[in-house]
Amino acid sequence: MADIVRKRVVAVEGPTIRERLQAMDDSAVVTAFLGGEERAFSELVTRYQTRLLNFVYRTIGDREKAEDLVQEVFIRVYRHLHRFDRSKKFSTWVYTIASNLAKNELRNRSRNPLVLFQTVQKNFQDEDRPLQFEDTTARPDDMYRKRHLREIVEESVAKLPEHHRNVFILRELEGKSYEEIAEITECNLGTVKSRLNRARNSFAEIIAPYVD
Amino acid sequence: MDCREFCEQHVAYVDDTLAGIELVRMQRHIAECESCAKHDAKIRRALLLFRNLPSIEPSADFSQRLEARIRECQTDHIMAASQRNLRYGAVAATLASIVMLGYIGTTLYERAATPRDLLMPPVVATLPEPELMPITTSTPAIVTSVSAGLSIFPAALFAEQAPVRFAHSKLELTDYTR
Repeated sequence: MADIVRKRVVAVEGPTIRERLQAMDDSAVVTAFLGGEERAFSELVTRYQTRLLNFVYRTIGDREKAEDLVQEVFIRVYRHLHRFDRSKKFSTWVYTIASNLAKNELRNRSRNPLVLFQTVQKNFQDEDRPLQFEDTTARPDDMYRKRHLREIVEESVAKLPEHHRNVFILRELEGKSYEEIAEITECNLGTVKSRLNRARNSFAEIIAPYVD
Repeated sequence: MDCREFCEQHVAYVDDTLAGIELVRMQRHIAECESCAKHDAKIRRALLLFRNLPSIEPSADFSQRLEARIRECQTDHIMAASQRNLRYGAVAATLASIVMLGYIGTTLYERAATPRDLLMPPVVATLPEPELMPITTSTPAIVTSVSAGLSIFPAALFAEQAPVRFAHSKLELTDYTR
């Protein structure tokens, strides 16, 4: 059905289409895509690729795999957008897909004990450090301290139980509301608050010896 | 407010979602309880560290790889659609064949089941010549067996061929004055 609709090319043409799409909210961009405007999908990718990558990376701790999973999220969005219930928030839907994929990845990994969260994460940090940490004006010991601190923080997050970590990242990194987290993780509101409280306490306990 | 209640409401306190009165009670408790104040500070400091983790960016070829996969997706979709159409066509043709075969089978069966018309030699029936019986009526008359409704001329012709029966009669005068 959506394919038929998609073939009907929207009459919006011209150089301002990207600007118009940028000005639209998610729901309007989704509508434009379903109306046949293929560039609307690129707009959705632009909006969510970094956020989803960070979310998945913080959840599974493997950058390469996180990129693959985010690509998979967008493929699924492309294929099934016509089934998306537009009375709900697009961001919640897309995070739900990402969360489920990340959960599956962790489940598969737990069946294969050779791949460990920390191992993967350390390899990435040693070989593929982000550019923002290559500040040449900073003193080497500062850079070391920064990198060391980041490692500690990421390792501390990785030590949280999976269901606590998921809620913790959605709240602290993505700034999702309790209700959205409940929808994404398919838990009730009370469970979300309880998990968030425990995750915060655990994280603070784990990291306290390094920062005090 | 006791420490237990403080810990229960701490999530909402950190997220600044407490109602005014509750917020004031939490603040008052922190001012009074050193342990809870420490706990609050520890949580906030840890969260600050986590929230300030540097964001990672997608690799340079991320978009290209995604576009390639989307194109594959489109091709697969088109192929799947054409295969689906072919499948529907095949199903429709099969159904039509089944219906046709069914019809043909039923027709043949009906023909085999119903007995054919018996072919017999034609039977020629002859009407036996009626026996001439004398008319014994009291009033003598000449009676012909010419059917009514014919015009006079053919009736006259047929009258010639029709058997004529004569009745023996005796004519008498009738007096109507009586």
